[in-house]
Amino acid sequence: MLVLTRKVHQSIVIGEGIEVVVLEVRGEQVRLGIRAPKDVTVHRKEVYQQIRDENRSASEVRPEDVPD
Amino acid sequence: MNETQLFDTTRFGTVGYIDADVVLFEDGLVGFPEHKRFLLLCHKPDSPFRWLQSLDEPQLAFLITDPVNWVQAYAPVVAAEEVGLLGLVESSPRLVYVTVTIPAGQPKEMTLNLAGPIVNDVERRIAIQLVLQDETYTTKHRVFPQANRVSAVAA
Repeated sequence: MLVLTRKVHQSIVIGEGIEVVVLEVRGEQVRLGIRAPKDVTVHRKEVYQQIRDENRSASEVRPEDVPD
Repeated sequence: MNETQLFDTTRFGTVGYIDADVVLFEDGLVGFPEHKRFLLLCHKPDSPFRWLQSLDEPQLAFLITDPVNWVQAYAPVVAAEEVGLLGLVESSPRLVYVTVTIPAGQPKEMTLNLAGPIVNDVERRIAIQLVLQDETYTTKHRVFPQANRVSAVAA
């Protein structure tokens, strides 16, 4: 993993057109601003993983278990 | 093309469809990016449930329902960029579904994934699964109250 040190209001640029700005650092919390093209989706990782896991569970439902 | 085509599914046998029945998920569902073409199948007449059957993988189907059947006040805050992904405008007719999880043999443990709703643009027959930033809703919203273990034992 590439590790960079940035200060508030500094940013990093990823490829063409993706920019991540450090907006604020408060204790353990860091606020980031992300500028990305429309077709690049950005999600908090834990939420994304929960939905992926829930989709996997949902794909295993058996028709005989569905209530009338 | 309006000819009926046939597709063999694992759960529902052979289903017939025409091109106009196909719903396109350009990005797939979360965790299933390769599966883009789906059919909406009725579960049973008058059932609140439907199935989202993949046309790329006979075994892949998701049980779905209109969340308003279960959570009347369901109104997630959706970021404008996310709606923009689908190219929806305010007036576009749309259907919202959520996936349903039922552990094998335990229908009372049914949960709805309210954090990842599926939005279907009815006219253009394209759909997207959103990842809500709104933390009001969980991926495991219980529909039936938790079973009372004491009375379950007594029964």
